[in-house]
Amino acid sequence: MSLLTRFTAYSAKPALAGSWGVVNFGELDALVVRAREFLRQLKLDRPTAFGLIGEHGPASTAWLLVLAEAGHFVAPLSGNAVEHPAKLALINAQWIITTEPLSWSLYPRVDEPSAHPLFARLREQGAAGLILFSSGTSGVPKAMVQDFPKLLATYESRHESRLPVLALLGFDHIGGLNTLLGSLAAGSLLVIPASRAPASVAAAIATHRVAVLPASPTFLNLLLASGEVEGHDLSSLRVITYGTEPMPESLLHRLKAAFPRARFIQTFGTSETGITRTESPDPGSTFLRFDDPGLEWKVVDDELWLRSRTQIAGYLNASNERFTDDGWFRTGDKVELGPDGTLRILGRMGEMINVGGEKLMPAEVESVILGVPGVIDCRVRGEAHPLTGQTVVVDVVAPAADQEALRAALRTACRQQLARHKAPTRVNFVAAVSGERLKKTR
Amino acid sequence: MLTREQALQIVLRRLAALGHELGKPELAQADEQTRLFGETAALDSIGLVTLIADLEEDIRVATGQTVTLADEKAMSRLTSPFRRAGLLAEYVVEITRN
Repeated sequence: MSLLTRFTAYSAKPALAGSWGVVNFGELDALVVRAREFLRQLKLDRPTAFGLIGEHGPASTAWLLVLAEAGHFVAPLSGNAVEHPAKLALINAQWIITTEPLSWSLYPRVDEPSAHPLFARLREQGAAGLILFSSGTSGVPKAMVQDFPKLLATYESRHESRLPVLALLGFDHIGGLNTLLGSLAAGSLLVIPASRAPASVAAAIATHRVAVLPASPTFLNLLLASGEVEGHDLSSLRVITYGTEPMPESLLHRLKAAFPRARFIQTFGTSETGITRTESPDPGSTFLRFDDPGLEWKVVDDELWLRSRTQIAGYLNASNERFTDDGWFRTGDKVELGPDGTLRILGRMGEMINVGGEKLMPAEVESVILGVPGVIDCRVRGEAHPLTGQTVVVDVVAPAADQEALRAALRTACRQQLARHKAPTRVNFVAAVSGERLKKTR
Repeated sequence: MLTREQALQIVLRRLAALGHELGKPELAQADEQTRLFGETAALDSIGLVTLIADLEEDIRVATGQTVTLADEKAMSRLTSPFRRAGLLAEYVVEITRN
């Protein structure tokens, strides 16, 4: 059953909740009907590129689905508006829709449709396109085009669920869209926090009795460090999923202690291949197993390669060099194989640090350092050094600590738990570390 | 700007602290003749890199200067400043002079 058909069946159930209130599936369906009418009045005679600007909410959701249904190309754009003009230009958007939670405005942008061959191919197939951006290695965002109906079809087999879900990742992120589409398909309530700050998220969980929290290790670490876990009733949480970066084992142990009633499930996804269903053979371990009939995987020279039913049709502004001729996507993730077809994400291939010929990944060192009392967050990286080629450097957030003592303590912890070359030689105390722990370049 | 004596005190204090951290208490008795690197030396290469990183921080605290002790210039000297504690102290004086 398609998503929009399900809205009728779920009619009275709450669909989306945010600072603007709660909207049920029937009300969401009414917004879909209105958006459809707006679109009809534009009298578009061919598939057209739209920029859909806004955060998670009823109006943005309605437009996303209406544009997909009508076979158009849509780029959801959220967050920092500074990046929007360049992205709109990149996709040659003809129309811009700006959304508030419950309303929208439409603006024409350019007359001429994009002549990009990828769009032409999807037009020929009669397929709508979903355009997502990833931070390219050079800093220029890469525009990825996905066959939208093919992606939506993967949600058609979802079973109905009553568990409210929290939307942590944005409306412009494959993970955030996966959470949205999954909860719509299951008829569950998607709770949108006022912001992604731990206090907002904890308040939203407590208010709406959220049961499922899809998150990243970085966010979960921040949540523990913020003290908000003690300040709110988070006992409704049943499932906490984590992905997008390696999970430090020390953090997983602290999380299990803080949320003894929650199951921890690792997810895995890339913008290029979509979010993959996985299972954790042992909830206490950071190994995972792919459990997705639409996905093939293999490991080539320690790198994870994926081939999936939902992978992108291509890039608008980059070559397909990360895809092999026979359709495998080189993820750039360095993995380790475990027993029984399991594997563990160690980090990005390019992140490997080489100290005098001995190698290590930042994530294993970060895991140890995060377990040292007083450390709130950290990032480990390699730095060139004339004596050892590279050396291990850590940026540490530890506002309350005696820096001299903590520096010795965290190096000692690394020496006790890791091979000697993995202990950081330089410890920088910083106010904040940037980005996700896993520096994504995909 | 540091005198040779001040620089030596910084190096020896840091050697003692690192010795404590590494379980090498003998480094608390280090003097300017103590060999830092090479056969029979107190530190291995990673220990030496750690000492240098910590010293750079000590120099920043003492003088406000951000310096790089280990670079190609230091490595290409005929007499390595990292051979003995005293030579390292002299090198610290030299690069904090400006």
